[in-house]
Amino acid sequence: MLKARHIPLVVILAAGVWALWPPSDDEMAVRLGSGPAKAGSDKAARKYQLRMAPGLYLPGTMPQSVGKPLRGLLEVAEKFERLYDDTHIEFVGYPNVREWLVTQLSAGTAPDILNVNVENVWQDVQKGWYVALDEYLEQPSPFAKPGEPGSKQWWDVFKYQAITRGKAAPDGKMYCISYDMIETGIFYNKDVFDRLGLRQPKDWVEFMDGQARLRAAGYIPLIVHVHNATDWGVDLVFDQLYYPILGGIDLRKDPTREAYLAGYLDWDEICYLYGKGFFTQRDPRWRELWRILKDWRRHWGRDLSTDDMIRLFITEKGAMYWSASWVVQKLARDPDIPFRWGIFYLPPIPPSFSPYSGGHEMCVIGGAAMQYVVTNSALKDTGDPATSERLKRAIAFLQFLTVPENADLVTNEVLSMLPNVRGVQPLPELRPFDEFLQRRYTTTKWWFTFDMRFNEIFLRMCDLYLNDGIAEDEYLAWTERNLDFAVETTLRRKKVDLEALDRAWRELAPLRAGVKGLPDGAK
Amino acid sequence: MGRSDGRPISRNLGCYGLLAPTFLLLAVFSVVPFIWAFTTSFYRYEIGGEATWVGLTNYVEYPQDPTCGISFLNLLFLTSFSVVVHVVFPLIVARLIFALSSERARYAYRIIFLVPIVVPGVAVLMIWRGLVYGDNGVINEVLCLAGLAAMARGWLSDPNTVLWAVACVGFPFASGINILIYYAGLTAIPESVHEAAELDGASGLGKFLRIDLPLVLSQVKLLVILTVIGAVQGFQGMFILTRGQPGFESMVPGLWMYFNAFSFQRMGYACAIGVILFLIILVLTVLNLKYFRSAEDVTAAAT
Repeated sequence: MLKARHIPLVVILAAGVWALWPPSDDEMAVRLGSGPAKAGSDKAARKYQLRMAPGLYLPGTMPQSVGKPLRGLLEVAEKFERLYDDTHIEFVGYPNVREWLVTQLSAGTAPDILNVNVENVWQDVQKGWYVALDEYLEQPSPFAKPGEPGSKQWWDVFKYQAITRGKAAPDGKMYCISYDMIETGIFYNKDVFDRLGLRQPKDWVEFMDGQARLRAAGYIPLIVHVHNATDWGVDLVFDQLYYPILGGIDLRKDPTREAYLAGYLDWDEICYLYGKGFFTQRDPRWRELWRILKDWRRHWGRDLSTDDMIRLFITEKGAMYWSASWVVQKLARDPDIPFRWGIFYLPPIPPSFSPYSGGHEMCVIGGAAMQYVVTNSALKDTGDPATSERLKRAIAFLQFLTVPENADLVTNEVLSMLPNVRGVQPLPELRPFDEFLQRRYTTTKWWFTFDMRFNEIFLRMCDLYLNDGIAEDEYLAWTERNLDFAVETTLRRKKVDLEALDRAWRELAPLRAGVKGLPDGAK
Repeated sequence: MGRSDGRPISRNLGCYGLLAPTFLLLAVFSVVPFIWAFTTSFYRYEIGGEATWVGLTNYVEYPQDPTCGISFLNLLFLTSFSVVVHVVFPLIVARLIFALSSERARYAYRIIFLVPIVVPGVAVLMIWRGLVYGDNGVINEVLCLAGLAAMARGWLSDPNTVLWAVACVGFPFASGINILIYYAGLTAIPESVHEAAELDGASGLGKFLRIDLPLVLSQVKLLVILTVIGAVQGFQGMFILTRGQPGFESMVPGLWMYFNAFSFQRMGYACAIGVILFLIILVLTVLNLKYFRSAEDVTAAAT
């Protein structure tokens, strides 16, 4: 019998049922992407049930928790399914962690198309987990109209050719298409800058002075995540210090990558140069790099490793936020942000600040954001790329995604990335990033040079060093031990031709002759 | 009689049949993976790649791994801290509840301490992270409000505080299950023992130390074993809160095993670390069983 004292319990249970009640089918379709086809439906009966993990553009999600749930990709898929009535595309989210990916790929159960940082999977390409896309990129796209980009080669539809082609793997093959671009930048609070009489800095000295003034005024001058500091910060400062001597140490001209990323130091060059004393305690530039970062760190927030950095910027505790174009979605579309904001790029380090710097414009370090790879799941039907119809559908869908009106529908639904398809303009709020991307690309990317073990140790020890947990010499010794292991693994795995590098090293000797601050014996 | 005519076996066939699925599942999900891991530890093996026999190389490499020393020191600290707080605090709470005169109050308190176990462990960790977060976490905000801004710090990112910040997850350490285990032990002590102790003049702390504590030693022993096993095996707290950072200041062997297995794909090496952890737990458990006295041992010694 129901008694009065049971009423609160009943109310709580009823509220729980109400909160957990499943949404309607239509609502679910948008929330969960197209989802698996319903049993018994027309779509469920289709022969090719492809799954795609599209990353940022997952239908039903709201990037940065603002705006409406996305549905651009759904619309494109529906158009595709009308063209291919034997195919259904299901969109899925996935935990963007390597652990998940490795287990799914080894079991052959990963989505057919997947967004992944392609450098992170180079270690796995020889295992047959990914499909090389070169032969498809070199053929015309069936969806390109005659005379338009893509009608001769699918390759031609991509706008940022250098960055896109620079994604070739160590085996020279291309395992991804770069669907859009991202770039970093400093977001700053214009109201705070105006109040303190600050402006966008012209060089590093002015930048550091500005940060000191912001701290004195009670703000966290710069909000930055340790991951970004060790990824972007290291590469940018590295470029400032090593670009002036690049002519004497750029040992190899990779026919695939070098044509687009001129002067880029690849893993084999880094390995060889390490053997010559570069990037060790004996290398003055290497020491200088860490000193500059450590000096800069005093202007950053207290905690460098939380996931909610943007909160500090939005609540005006921090005056600048070093992040990337994905933040624009939040800053531009959140009606509750109470201040005016702007974007600038990191200024150059002048020779007056560091004797090793060339004072040249800061390079860019961003690049491809959504990198779509085709996995071994797309070969389920025959196991052979030459005969697999399922693979053809997967490739066709990727080609269909790069049709300008489709790319516009997908990428410009979110204020985060720059479309990498010719004929599709970025949204006005993102144009500064398009300008940044016209700059020269970085000299190297340390995070993409070696394996995950190297990255993990690199990140951790850098974090510790920046947080005063370890002295400079001890830190550099750690870095050397890490490099010892990574270089040994790379040389063994990739069978690097050291003799060719040795010849190039001797040929470039005249260019190093007058250079100051090289490691002992590196002339 | 008995086994020679086969009747007992046939009589027990039903029991064996009922146990068979359990044994089968144990074999498939516990024994086979262990044997596989033990075998793999002698190979250089990457998921999806070829396995190469390397003998004891992985076992030789681990002691030379730069993370090894600090990982085991961290493990020693965290395990010792965990054993102390998870054995002592629940015992105090259980004794206080047991001392309540009202049965209704005792029941209510048992429920109150048990309710938090329905909160998922991950949620507890996330709440804790919110408390100790460096720039606008609750602890730092309170310190700032109290005029102690100089003491505010990134508790999880400061190498000097990270281990304490991780070790204190679950404060005030009054685990509902542990309290119940102790409470059951306390209720099993015959009332006559308490009465005799009181007649001899024992009361309060003296009675607790001389009567209650020796008679719940079996429970203490059980909890020490469970806590040690949990602390040596567990790395989820570290994984969620710090991933072993900054540097390797909060790294533990289990977490490094995980990174090697699934991030670096050094499965053979990870298996070797796993086998080493297994051996450590085995040795600690045997030592505990052999040298830690239970209530029965105490009673036997007394008589």
